Amino acid sequence: MVNPLFQVPGIVSGRALGLIFDVVLMLLVVYYMGGGKNIKIRRVPGLDAIEEAVGRAAEMGKPVVASFGIAGSGFDYWTMAGLAILAHVAKLSAKTGTRLIVPTGGSDQSLIVRPVAEEIVRNAYLIEGRPEAFSDNDLPFLSGQQYAYTGGYIGILQRMRPASVIMTGSHASEAMNIAETSNMIGAITITAGSYVSNTASLACASDYILIGEEAPAAGAYLSQDPTQRASIRAQDIYKAISIIMIIGGLIILAAGSDVVIRLLVS
Amino acid sequence: MSEILKSRTLQMVVLVLSFLFVFVPYFIDVKVLTDFSTQLITIAAIISAFTLVLAVYSQFRRGYTFVHRRSRGWIFKAYMMTSIVLMLIFAVYSQTSGPYNWVMYAIITPLSSVNYSILVFYMASTGARAFRARNGRALLLLITGFIVLFYQAPFTGAFFPQLTPYSLYITSTLVSAAGRMFLISVTVGAIVFGMRVLMGKETSILGAAKEEK
Repeated sequence: MVNPLFQVPGIVSGRALGLIFDVVLMLLVVYYMGGGKNIKIRRVPGLDAIEEAVGRAAEMGKPVVASFGIAGSGFDYWTMAGLAILAHVAKLSAKTGTRLIVPTGGSDQSLIVRPVAEEIVRNAYLIEGRPEAFSDNDLPFLSGQQYAYTGGYIGILQRMRPASVIMTGSHASEAMNIAETSNMIGAITITAGSYVSNTASLACASDYILIGEEAPAAGAYLSQDPTQRASIRAQDIYKAISIIMIIGGLIILAAGSDVVIRLLVS
Repeated sequence: MSEILKSRTLQMVVLVLSFLFVFVPYFIDVKVLTDFSTQLITIAAIISAFTLVLAVYSQFRRGYTFVHRRSRGWIFKAYMMTSIVLMLIFAVYSQTSGPYNWVMYAIITPLSSVNYSILVFYMASTGARAFRARNGRALLLLITGFIVLFYQAPFTGAFFPQLTPYSLYITSTLVSAAGRMFLISVTVGAIVFGMRVLMGKETSILGAAKEEK
């Protein structure tokens, strides 16, 4: 066991540095959001493709299928990120008059998330002035069982032949079955790799993929709101700090000092 | 009363307070706060269980409307509702023996396993499409893929032991490094996302779009 480099009285042992980093990140987010600066961020192909996917569906007169994952842990951040993307897709669908189908289910917790998803889609149609186009039958609850949900989802894809499939949120191993089926029926497939283990396979099966923090950042990116985009800037700064620490740590460790390891366990 | 409970401000206040009551005791060593945080988490778990009951009830009501209107596919909803009721009765009777146990272990588990095993065909078809050396990067992927595949598969692994160090280097160094970078970026993304929610910039997850405010 490595001895911590420092300890702060009153702080739980081994969590002082974590607290400092968390506070720094929060301050960065507050600073950039409060500044009202117009920040330009790089284009994320996967997110830009969402508009293209919905537009394609509108042109072809086919539906869009979008899902927010199986929500195995309820409202975890992947599910929330998926819901933020769903809100955007629903608005685009309402605007272009495209039918949006949102297969839900996959876990017991998804029963809790489903009503929120329904509210999100309903609101999107309301905001776009087309409440009559919303139908709660387009958000079918398929099953609380992961693979029964997968079978139902694949069945919808095979029968409805959507022009686009946007699969974000907390999808697990079933993501491959869905993405590959989507590919087979010729739909534009946009996915978000929520697990390291399935990201590579999803990248092969999808036309576009959101990797890593691109999915949680999607809401901010898609909103075009300067304050929201500022959060991405804060994220990038923090990542730069992490990279510097990794490289610096490697050099220092190679030089024979364990100071960085001791700092990290502080 | 319902208007107050539905108020966006109240929802935000509950969100921020819940965050503080769990976040602060995680770092600050104050026994009262830690005890309160533990109790809050227990309360949240109980509320979550009640929410699940409400959610099942909501599904049941939707199903009933569906069946009542004889909408397309109503028979499946009727089947679902019957299954829910029967499984509830069976579960009350016994979860470790009898019909509930039989349905879970003789029907649901094998069917799920069959569905899960189908994944291998999807993986193979994706792999077949990805494994085409159309450019330099694809060739690199192809070579890497084959090295790892040959090492992992027992038959080829036994015939080509000289691939072992390369495969181990790829999986333990390159893959591991990329995986950790993925985890770091996702964690930072999650924290920033949480901050946006707490600052009221991400209201869509509360069931309302920003324009509604």
